[in-house]
Amino acid sequence: MYFNHPLFLITALLILVFVNLSHDGGKALKKWVLVLILMSVLIILLNPFLVSRGTTILFYFRGKQVTLEATIYGMTMALFIVNVLILSISFHLILNGNRFLYIFSKFLPRTAFLVMMAIRFVPLLKRRLDEISDVHHIRGLSMREGNMKNRMTNGMLRLQTGLTWSLEEAIQTADSMKARGYGLGKKTSYIPYYMKKRDWVWLMILCFLFALCIAGGALGYGKIVIYPVLGTLQFFGIDWTVFGCMVLLMAFPLWVEGRETLRWRF
Amino acid sequence: MQKRGTFPLLALILLFVVLCLSFILFPYQHYFIISVVIIGLFLLLFFKRFERKKVKTREIVILAMLAALAAIARVPFAGIPSVQPTSFVIITAGLVFGAESGFLVGAVAAIVSNIFLGQGPWTPWQMFSWGTMGLSAGLLRSLLSKVWVQCIFGFAWGFLFGWIMNLWIIVSNIENISWEFVIGIYASSFTHDLSHAISNVVFIAIFSARWVKILDRFKRKYGLL
Repeated sequence: MYFNHPLFLITALLILVFVNLSHDGGKALKKWVLVLILMSVLIILLNPFLVSRGTTILFYFRGKQVTLEATIYGMTMALFIVNVLILSISFHLILNGNRFLYIFSKFLPRTAFLVMMAIRFVPLLKRRLDEISDVHHIRGLSMREGNMKNRMTNGMLRLQTGLTWSLEEAIQTADSMKARGYGLGKKTSYIPYYMKKRDWVWLMILCFLFALCIAGGALGYGKIVIYPVLGTLQFFGIDWTVFGCMVLLMAFPLWVEGRETLRWRF
Repeated sequence: MQKRGTFPLLALILLFVVLCLSFILFPYQHYFIISVVIIGLFLLLFFKRFERKKVKTREIVILAMLAALAAIARVPFAGIPSVQPTSFVIITAGLVFGAESGFLVGAVAAIVSNIFLGQGPWTPWQMFSWGTMGLSAGLLRSLLSKVWVQCIFGFAWGFLFGWIMNLWIIVSNIENISWEFVIGIYASSFTHDLSHAISNVVFIAIFSARWVKILDRFKRKYGLL
C-alpha cells in the first residue's frame, strides 16, 4: 500500500477482503487467515520492542524506551503486509494460465511460452515422481526411515531418475513440436479474451484514478508522519478526494461482479 | 554462451549493487516500489536477450523441463523440513548449460513453484536470487570444476539466498530501520539459511558429479546450447 494513514489502510483491507470473497467465496483466503493473523500480531508486538525511534515514550522495557511512534508504525506495517498478501492471493486466483499467457505473450512471447510449458510439466513430473517412489518403496529405499544422509540420498536418486527419464521425453516433445512447424513463423497463441471498446474506456478511467492516487500520495495526502514525532491523523479536503479515488479504484471489481450477480438473479 | 556476453552481465550486476547502496545511503521514499521496479527491469533485460537469441526448439523444451524439475524438487523432500534441492538443480543447470540458461532456469523455477505455493511480493526477489544463482554458476564454471569448490559455492549461496530474501522485508520498511531490527531479521533466518547451505553442500558433494555427467551427455548427444 502506498498510503499509510490508518483509515486508508483499514478501508483498503475491507475492500480487498470483499474482492477476495467475490472470487471463490473465501476458499483460498481461509488457508491464509491464521498465517495473516499470527504474522500481524507478531509484527505489532515485536516492532515497539525492536525499534526505539520516536519521541513519545510510553514506558521503559529493560532500559530501552518503548515509543508510541514505533507502536503505530508496527500497526501500519502489519496492515500494509496483510493488504499486500491478500492482494497477491487475489492475483494468484485471477491470473491463471490463459490470462498469464495473454498478458505476457504480447511482449515476451518466448518467455511466456517457456513459463507455460514449465507449468505444464509440473503435474507430469509429479506423476512420474510418484511412480518412481512406488518402485523405490518396493525396492526398500525409503525416505521416511534411516539417517538424514540416507533419506536425502534416496530423495535425490528419485529426482535423478526423473531427470534422465524426463530429459529424453523432452527431446521427443521438442522434435514433435518441430515436426509440426514450431518456430517457422511468428508465434501465435489461442487467446479467448479480447478488449472491447468499453473495456478500453474503463481501463482509461482506472488509469486516471490510479494517477490521481499516485499524485495525491506524492503530495503527502493520505499519509501520516510517524517518525520522529507522530503527526496529526486529521483529514483535510483533499485527503477525502484521494480517499474517494482509492475506494473507487479498489472497489471496481466488486462493482463489476456485483452488477453481474444482480442481473443474474433478477 | 559467447565470450562477449559476459561483460554486460557483470556490468548489470554492478549497476544493481550500486543502485541498492544508493537507496540505503540516500534518503528517498518508496524503496519497496522502486526496488521491485529495478528487479523487474533486471529480469526483463535477460528475458529480452532470450527473446532475441536464436534458440532451438529442443533447448526451450529442455530449459522448461529443468525449471519444472527445479520447482518440483521440493516435493519428494516435503517430509524433511527446510531441505530442498531446488538450488542444487539450478546450480548444476548453470554449470552445464551456461550463465544465461542458468538464469532462466532459476527465474522460471521461482515463478512456477510460486504458482503452486502462492505468489507474493517475494516472487521477484526469489526470481532474482535464484536467477543470479544460476547465472553465477554459469559465469564461474571454469573455476567450479572441482567438487570441493562447488561445495563452497553452494554453501555461500545458501546464505546469500536467505540474505537477499531478507532484503525485501527490510526494503519494505526502511523508515523503521534500526540495527536491532536488521539483526533480528538476519538472526531469525540464520538456522534456515544454515540448513539451506548445508543441504546444498550435501547434495553437491554426493550428486553434482553425476548430474553434471548426465546433463553433459545430453548436451553433447543432442547438440544443445
